[in-house]
Amino acid sequence: MTLPATAHCLALLADGRLLTITASRRPRANRADVKCAVAGAPAICERMQEVVRLARHTEARIDSRDQVVLSMDTVPESDERDWELAAVLADRMVRGLYRHSGGAVLAHGRSDAWHLGRVQAGVPLAIEQVRHHLRDAPALVLGAGTEAAPAVDSLFISHLGGLHGHPDPSAAVASATAWFPLHSGGVNDCLGWVEVSVYPIGQGAMGPDAVDEEDTIAVPGLDLSAQLAVRRALAGARHFDGRGLGRWRTVVRFGQPRFQGASYELALVMADRLARGRECVPRGRIIATGCSSAWHAGQVDTVEGCGPKLALILKQAETGDRVLLPAAWHGQLPDGFGAALRARGASHACIERIGMI
Amino acid sequence: MALFSRRREPADTSALGRHVIAQRLDDGDVAPAMCPVVIFNAGGHARRVSSGKINCAQGETVFCFHPGPYSVDLTPFAAAPELGLRLRFVIDAADPRVTQQRFDLFLYSEAEAGLALATLRHRFDTTLQAELAQGTLALPPCTTLDEWHVFRAGLNQLLYTRFGVTVDDCVPVDLGDQVDYADLLTERALQAAATATSVQQAPASPEAGAGEGAPPAPPDRKAGPSAGWPPAQCDARALRRLFLELPALIAAFRLVELPPGPEAFRAQQALLQRLNLMKLSVDTMPSLAWAAPDQPLAADQQARRSRNSTAAVAALDEAWALLARLQLVVPVQWAELADEAERICANLEYDLTLRRAPYEPIHEDELADAQPDAPTAGPATSNRREPSL
Repeated sequence: MTLPATAHCLALLADGRLLTITASRRPRANRADVKCAVAGAPAICERMQEVVRLARHTEARIDSRDQVVLSMDTVPESDERDWELAAVLADRMVRGLYRHSGGAVLAHGRSDAWHLGRVQAGVPLAIEQVRHHLRDAPALVLGAGTEAAPAVDSLFISHLGGLHGHPDPSAAVASATAWFPLHSGGVNDCLGWVEVSVYPIGQGAMGPDAVDEEDTIAVPGLDLSAQLAVRRALAGARHFDGRGLGRWRTVVRFGQPRFQGASYELALVMADRLARGRECVPRGRIIATGCSSAWHAGQVDTVEGCGPKLALILKQAETGDRVLLPAAWHGQLPDGFGAALRARGASHACIERIGMI
Repeated sequence: MALFSRRREPADTSALGRHVIAQRLDDGDVAPAMCPVVIFNAGGHARRVSSGKINCAQGETVFCFHPGPYSVDLTPFAAAPELGLRLRFVIDAADPRVTQQRFDLFLYSEAEAGLALATLRHRFDTTLQAELAQGTLALPPCTTLDEWHVFRAGLNQLLYTRFGVTVDDCVPVDLGDQVDYADLLTERALQAAATATSVQQAPASPEAGAGEGAPPAPPDRKAGPSAGWPPAQCDARALRRLFLELPALIAAFRLVELPPGPEAFRAQQALLQRLNLMKLSVDTMPSLAWAAPDQPLAADQQARRSRNSTAAVAALDEAWALLARLQLVVPVQWAELADEAERICANLEYDLTLRRAPYEPIHEDELADAQPDAPTAGPATSNRREPSL
């Protein structure tokens, strides 16, 4: 694993300008751990250093050997704060803690509690601006709740762990994300995400028999037949582990609501298990493809499009990611697939059923 | 001749083997059958004797432990409380090949009055969660059998190297009967609502009244490193652990089997040299409360020193975990582990240097915006704007 020497992260300012935050790494040599350089704006410098240092409290691995130097190419207004997420991401990208296969990332978000890793919504984004700049930065990361046009593929996070789809350890709503390959004929292949948020239902209010599990699952933005399929899959998978029936109110969101087929189901079920605290948490993301005719038995069936999906996964996988494939694909894996994934720091498993071993 | 000494109540050892693993005893107490007794002399050297009436000299510390087996439920992921590992472990008889048993060292440096099973479970949990978060042990979703075997081998070695316990059996279990995640989340929601109402009722604090645009106040830098314990106590514990465990760690690193070739040997020699220098630094560590003779140190700087020594202990724990990996290593991973060793050494050195310094150093980067005529040290420095490191 080689670390980049510099990393860029973009942010949109309120007046429409694009701000590039550049992070570079150099040997520390008894200097401060984070240094910020913005010409003519010492207050912003100080704030950026504070933000980055606070956000580092949420990391598991401390390395005091490097100094990270952050700089901005334009000076934002002193009351603007939506570049904060971009500064944190640039600091993580240069140290290899967050990687994106597309290179640069456009980020927009702020927080009053960086030391807890929370991310809040920024000011609403104008769609034309984002479209205009999206050629420079293929990935868009927004603080949860930011108003943006739904047509743009973006990742909403309320917590820094949300970059990898992990649930927030301190929020009262558990929400987890898993990714699945969307195959649409070559150039437009991408990873779509599905997010499952669960809220506890008071046990006293309704007995377990009074609630139909499928009624507690909401899927905004999908047509009726797709909604029904999502509800069936989730209710079936909850029957499989025997717990969590009648305990949760669930909201499922998709990054892109326009897709066909059922290969998202394994990702959906894994995100649900992650959100309900019943699945091992991977270091990176879960990338899964697979469907099932019998979720109540935990069985995973094969799906179509093996070749292009594997190629896409290999291109997009990053350090710590976990790739879950149906067991029938085991014989169809190209030579060196596992080794190539391992070289990128990811791992894979061809599974027959969900759950441990 | 202890003829005229006052009779004490004999120590109650009935809980040993159930929810207490080890207990501290005194001269004249009786250790129950089947429970080995470890006696540490004033120099910290341990000897094991068979159970029975304890006969020790002045200044010696006596522990008696029950070998088990014990069974605990671990939570490998903080975010997945319903997923558990049921661990059965024992404390083995003394290994004749080593001069100092790891479990004896663990008792001497970390158990104060005794070692309860719940405390040890908490330590196992913290260690395991840290290793999984750093990726040195892997327990990914839908673990395959091969990955599980690798994980088990790593876990066994980790717990043996770090705590000196031998893992008998480890199986994944569903903790859904004991922990209910929905109830945990409901509790969090109630807590958040309670904080929100208390903030609303007391809008007197300037941060709350200033509106959303104002940047929040940074967390209190004068707060102690761990809630509840005063800085002096934290610091004393941390330094005790460093003082006792660093020599054992150096000795163990010296014994690690190296791959052939001069690079590995050179890397090991450099590592040992740095560790020895750190040992020297710990042995000569200045006291917490004094900046210089006759110059007491301000409370916030004491807390800062204590935070640094606690961070050094965290690096020490990582070093034990690294040792466990080195003992299982295959030669292809050697470069990665050497880099890891360098990182842990750098973190230890960094924190020990800051623990020695009475004030946080002013870096060249921060000198530019500090006043040029500000004094660099002395009691007056507590008034100046402290540059954050």
